[in-house]
This record gives sequence, C-alpha cells and structure tokens, in this order.
Amino acid sequence: MDKKKLAKQLGVIVLVIALFAGLDTGIYQLFIKRVISHHSPGMQKMSVEVGNYVPFTGSENVFSAEGVSKLEGDIPVIDGAAALLPVYAGFVESIYPESSVIYNGEDYDAASAMHYTNTRGAYKDIVDGNADIIICAQPSDEQLAYAAEKGVELELVPIGSDAFVFIVNDSNPVDNITLDQIRGIYSGEITNWKELGGKNIQIAAMRRNKNSGSQTALEKIMGDIPIKPDYTTLFGSPIGFSFRYYVTGMLGEGGVKILTINGIAPTPETIADGSYPVAGNIYAVYRKGETNENVYKAIEFMKSPEGQKIVEQSGYIPLS
Amino acid sequence: MKDKTFISILAIIMVIGIGVTAGLMIHGYNLWKEISIVEMIANWG
Repeated sequence: MDKKKLAKQLGVIVLVIALFAGLDTGIYQLFIKRVISHHSPGMQKMSVEVGNYVPFTGSENVFSAEGVSKLEGDIPVIDGAAALLPVYAGFVESIYPESSVIYNGEDYDAASAMHYTNTRGAYKDIVDGNADIIICAQPSDEQLAYAAEKGVELELVPIGSDAFVFIVNDSNPVDNITLDQIRGIYSGEITNWKELGGKNIQIAAMRRNKNSGSQTALEKIMGDIPIKPDYTTLFGSPIGFSFRYYVTGMLGEGGVKILTINGIAPTPETIADGSYPVAGNIYAVYRKGETNENVYKAIEFMKSPEGQKIVEQSGYIPLS
Repeated sequence: MKDKTFISILAIIMVIGIGVTAGLMIHGYNLWKEISIVEMIANWG
C-alpha cells in the first residue's frame, strides 16, 4: 500500500517537473530564442544607437558637409525618425552651431536644438510646437488627424527616398511576392506559405506599433483593407517589413532575405526610377506659415547638393 | 512518503517552477523591447 502511494507521489512530482520543463522549453523555443540580439559591430553601425550619431563628436557614422554657412539666430529644433537619425545628425553637424546641440550621454537635453523622439514622438512634437523641423516618412492618418484637431497644417518637403521592404528568414524558399499577396497575408486571407509556392507552414505576419513609420507604410499599401490582429505570430514562418536601410545592415550577417515585389528588387536604381513599387519619400516636415527663416534655410540646405550628398552617404537615395 | 513531506516537496517544486517561468518571461520581454523586427526574423529559421 505504502509503495503504491509512494509511486503515485513520485509520479505527481515527476509530472509537475515535466510540465514546468515543457512550459519553459516552449517559452524559450517560441519566444526567447527569437529575441536574443546577435548584433555584431557591423550591424550596430547600421542600426540606430543614439550615442553613435551625436553630431560634433567626431563620429564616423555622421557625414557632414565642410565649409557650409552655419545658421545664426533662432535655431530651429530638429527631430525625426529612428531610421533617419544618421541623416539629420549629418544636417545638424553641417549647419547648426555646435553650442546648440546638448547631449547628456544618454539623450538630448530639452534645451538642445536636436532631439530624438522617433516618428511617433516627432509628429506629436511638430504639431505641439516642441520641434520646428522633423525628418520622417509620411505621416499616418491618425497623425494627420491630430494635426487637424490642433489646427496645424504640415508641409512635407521630399529630401530623398528609400524602399519599403518585406523580409523573410533566409531559409524560406519564397523569393518574390506581389502587392496583392501582401494584402492577402496582412488581411488574413493568405495564411500558409504553400499558397505562395513555399513550404506547407503557417505564415506569421509580423507588424509594428501603430503610428511607427513602417506600420504607416503598411497601412498605405493595405488601403481600406483591415489588418488582421497578430495573435498567431508565435507560430509558423515569419514575414515582416522595414525600410531598406535598416535591413541592408543585416544582410551581411545572414538570417534575413529581402523579397522582390512583382519581380523587382529594391536597388538604388529601381527606387530612383520608381520601378520598385513601394518606394517612399523621406520628408522634411514643418508647420505651414512658419516664420523662422532658419527653417527654410535648413530645408534648402537639405535639398542642396551638399545636403543630398549627406542623404546618400547615410545610406538613402538622394533626390533625382 | 508522509503527506506533509509530499506537499512540501510539491510546494518547493511549484515555487521554483513558477519563479523560473516568470523569470524567463520577464527576461524575454526585456529582450523583446530591445530587438528590431529584422533581427527577430533573422533568428526565426
């Protein structure tokens, strides 16, 4: 009798241990393994670490123009998207007085003429008057509605372009996708890679936060088609999206592959000539009716040959 | 094994198990906040 009881008790103990072991293995395999950073120094150079792009620190990641007139007087506060930090750090180093940039080692000081709050923060700041120029991709409908609600009209001046790209793990045999297939995936109509000529495995359609630059770009592609919630993205083989500059940093590391869209790869040539179907402009954004003439001088510089050289050196496509 | 001993062993295993699971999830969440979508896909073979 005691032996039977002991066997039952040991069985329960073993079962509980096995349940926890299974649960923790599942958490590791499905979640933690996928979010461990393998950033190499090469990738770090391409990805945006704020401290690597501080103007006037001699950073090799910031490209600036020599011998250009500096702005004087009322220096406009500049802000922008994470992916575009290299670009506007170069503009600032070229035409802003060094004393106007205050970086405390972790972030920009509130009194600094350069800020870094990312796309969502930058669009809010330009509307609220906390920034005078922001460097971003196009605004979302929500960001435009916020501006309208506050009675602010935004002027968007193109200063370059980049491609919006869709990426998969490089073990995925699918190389090409069409815009209709992208809409099918993100609306939930296409759920398995075999429908695109790939393996019989579920599609994990990853997305980003609302009002981020790349999520807004996806919403523009989707038009009126609702994007399905991503409850299932822990399973299957993923597809995601980003801007070309972000992804090219990873290509040397392996692990990801940029899909061609309608058979066209996002190269500087196909982006510049418009044949790549989802290229998008980079904008300098300011408030309509702005009275600070330095805002206009700064934007003129961005469009000038010197400014465009910074756009190109920073990894983006200059105005043609 | 006495019932009290069995319950105690089970309780210790549960506490350790829940602790490890919670720790893994917190660790994963902290990593997830830092990683880009691009790098996550690269890890996801």
